[in-house]
Amino acid sequence: MSLLALAQASTSASASTSSSSDTELDAQVDFSTMLMHRQREYSGWFGCGTKMQPEPTDQGYYLEQYVLGVLDFSSQYGIEYSISYTAANVVGRPSKFPAYGDYPETFTMRTYGDWWQRAPSATQEIQPQNLPKLATHDYIVVYFEDYVVPTEVAIFETFNPGAVIRIWAYGLTKHWTCLWEALDTDLAPTSRNSRRFAPPLLKTTMITKTLRIDFNHSQLNYYTEIDAIMLCGRTVSGRLIQSILEEQARVYKPHSPLSKMGTGGPISCKLRTLKFKPNCREKNDTSLHEFISNDLGKFLLDNRQEDPLDTPACGMCVTDLPFEILLKILSYLDLQSLFSVGRVSRTFYDISTHPLLYAELNLKPYWPVASSELLCTLARRATMLRKLDLSWCGGFNEISPTEFKKFLTQRGDNLTHLRLNSCKFLNASCIENVGIVCDNLIELSLRNCATDPPLLNFSCLANLKNLERLDLFQTAFDTELLLSMLEGNRKLKHLNLAFCGVSVNMDDVADHLATYNTQLISLDLWKAHFLSARGLLAISRCRQLEELDLGWCLREASLGDGLFQLLSNCPKLRKLFLSAVRGTTERDLLHIATLGKNLEQLDLMGILNITHERVFDILVHCPKLQLLDLSFCDNIMERDFDLLAEWSRQFKVDIKSSRIFDTR
Amino acid sequence: MHSLHWTSRMISRALRSSFSTLLESATGAGAASKVGEGALKSATPRPHFVSVVCGFAKDNLRHKYKPGKYGEDSWFKASTEQADVMGVADGVGGWRSYGIDPGEFSSFLMRTCERLVQCSHFNPQRPVNLLAYSYCELMEQKKPILGSSTACVLILNRETKTVHTANIGDSGFMVVRQGEVVHKSEEQQHYFNTPFQLSLPPPGHGPNVLSDSPESADTMSFPVEDGDVILIATDGVFDNVPEALLLDVLRDVEGERDSVKLQMTANTLALMARTLSLNSEFLSPFALSARRNNIQARGGKPDDITVVLATVAM
Repeated sequence: MSLLALAQASTSASASTSSSSDTELDAQVDFSTMLMHRQREYSGWFGCGTKMQPEPTDQGYYLEQYVLGVLDFSSQYGIEYSISYTAANVVGRPSKFPAYGDYPETFTMRTYGDWWQRAPSATQEIQPQNLPKLATHDYIVVYFEDYVVPTEVAIFETFNPGAVIRIWAYGLTKHWTCLWEALDTDLAPTSRNSRRFAPPLLKTTMITKTLRIDFNHSQLNYYTEIDAIMLCGRTVSGRLIQSILEEQARVYKPHSPLSKMGTGGPISCKLRTLKFKPNCREKNDTSLHEFISNDLGKFLLDNRQEDPLDTPACGMCVTDLPFEILLKILSYLDLQSLFSVGRVSRTFYDISTHPLLYAELNLKPYWPVASSELLCTLARRATMLRKLDLSWCGGFNEISPTEFKKFLTQRGDNLTHLRLNSCKFLNASCIENVGIVCDNLIELSLRNCATDPPLLNFSCLANLKNLERLDLFQTAFDTELLLSMLEGNRKLKHLNLAFCGVSVNMDDVADHLATYNTQLISLDLWKAHFLSARGLLAISRCRQLEELDLGWCLREASLGDGLFQLLSNCPKLRKLFLSAVRGTTERDLLHIATLGKNLEQLDLMGILNITHERVFDILVHCPKLQLLDLSFCDNIMERDFDLLAEWSRQFKVDIKSSRIFDTR
Repeated sequence: MHSLHWTSRMISRALRSSFSTLLESATGAGAASKVGEGALKSATPRPHFVSVVCGFAKDNLRHKYKPGKYGEDSWFKASTEQADVMGVADGVGGWRSYGIDPGEFSSFLMRTCERLVQCSHFNPQRPVNLLAYSYCELMEQKKPILGSSTACVLILNRETKTVHTANIGDSGFMVVRQGEVVHKSEEQQHYFNTPFQLSLPPPGHGPNVLSDSPESADTMSFPVEDGDVILIATDGVFDNVPEALLLDVLRDVEGERDSVKLQMTANTLALMARTLSLNSEFLSPFALSARRNNIQARGGKPDDITVVLATVAM
């Protein structure tokens, strides 16, 4: 309401003569009602194609629109150029809704449930106290065609609904507003039916056409799939949008980090520009001083409660505790509270800005407000920085690469853990800086940094020699760089190269791993289509392997001896994903049963040759098995579904068996 | 196996160099086109197809009617602002003896082509790319899809008023203008009754199975004029109906814009093909070509029939 008032006030103020504008206004009103009447006839479900161009009118109309395009997503199941199970399927009208099933024409994410947290490659969150109760696992940012004031956001879920936890909207004022947030109870697994999920939104007057949906997978039984997202709201006139954008350009909003989460309305802006200062400060100071020195004692005496244990002589207060204990207490606080605490008093400010409290920094939960200024402030405090997580921040140019490089140069030399997942502000020189400054890195995570040309095409990171974890999920890089990094980091334990298989020769990578990185514990080669049996044989020489994800690798090529070698050489193998490795034969399954003693998670989705007997073998001989995915194994699905359920109960294994439910 | 590798690598490299993902970052594109469309009626008429489909499954008892396919044949039609696209695919029946439904592959190929036309990276001048992407999508499906099929795809580029085609195998198209055949596709065969085909063999049988890459498709591009008649059909039509008969029917419908009349003609064509295919005495084009290959054959060839008939309207 305030924005609207402001805009109209400014436009009317700029009108030259009142009389002429009056008559114009009358004419406009008639025309606009006529137009609204006509638009109501034509209104309906405006797709993202052609639609009527509305006349600029002050009264908007109700508009429902589907996604026009996807700006960003944290993960997807399919590979980037595909239209099966990828984020691109969220665009446009729903293609499968209200049908329920595992369809390729939908948006699916990479993980479900807590299986990835139970795997050997699971990571610990940095500064976990920052995270909200329902942490976000994945997100997608979509944009629509027209600006509206949002009244409803509908998400069409066609498989395993119930993962949406937050809906954000990006306003014209360049701030993110949370339109809806789930409570703990909302996340209970719902019935197995497709649903149109439209939670009650915050009443707001913000204008937006960009949404971000946050997902949490912890309660999911299997993958969740989204068919479409619809944004409904009242449109606003083009003139209003223009005026707000101009307002934005004129007014500079100094953003006090974390103390005000995205509220700085036009009134406070106006106040700042007027250099408003209260002028009664001196008097307040002296009166407070007088009160404390003269009247405080009497005040306390009058108001104290009768307590036999009360010793009025020595009143302890928090600030009397030893410094180290205070530091310990404050170390449990999340970053936002820490900043708030610093505003209480000088003592608290000194304690809360102590560098030991900033040894671990996680700005991922504060992605809507993370900005260059915040980085600047933190740089002053975090002199002993060891672990840094800037994932998801800076998506809309709030953080500049220069600021990041400055931060890194100042504070990065002792960094051991660095996570820069989905950081859109990264450019090649930032990565170079990482390579030069942070040579103590043990963990480097650069998920979802796929750009063209690839970010990692310099030999910059070859300087890092102590890496134990390298995560390049969905990130493009130069093969030569990766190979030289593998040679340099002999202690590498966890390597994630999911979705990297298209431009990289995985057989060469596998050879390098076998030669230089024999301490490897987990390896993720999801969708490395061109990995061959030779590569698999090479991988089997890493005898410490506990986790191997070969989903969608090897295509239809036969595995040869590879799987047998792998299982014999790596007895510690706990997680093995062979999704859609169609060349798996019945002998391979026999080997899994006989040699996979420690297997806990086994994914055999889409493998054709699986029979009941082999499944039973595996269930009997793998005592530690917790997850067995048999989806789309058509050989089994046609017959006893109940038998699988029975075995699931008997062996206490979670058996997944999804398939398309209706035939087209 | 080679064809799969090469196609996917070619595509991925092409994609990496021009458009790396399907994500669009500019909203300007959508807005600009909207403004260009502007008023409710357009100033210049745009070339488009008036198109209809008809067909018969070979075995009516086994195959219930499902939209988009006739037995093992399949077809699709799609249109965007820039182009009109049509295509047919004929599943190779030999897979049935291995327990694989031949219609699945062709149906999936056509459905994916339909979806791909709407994608941002659709190139209206390269129907081969459409086939290649569709073929690659096959391998990204959770549900294993096996089999093989021929394919024929035709794109009308509105701006340049040209038609681009890609044909693999023995399906094909024919363009008739002023009573004469001006363009016709060539049958691609390895040997008699074994057409070029896109295929996905079961794992381990790769070397034993005939598999052609989308690159081996025959491509043609030619300009079209108002009133041209285009017929795309599977071999069920071309093998049973002599060309003269086809021409007779097609020249009558030149310039026809009424889709009902066009539908009647398509029905006629399909029925002709069906009747002739079940006739055991008639010397069909199939029988003639068999004789040229020293095989004593007579009568029509019972097969699935798919007819996609379109006229160009400007």
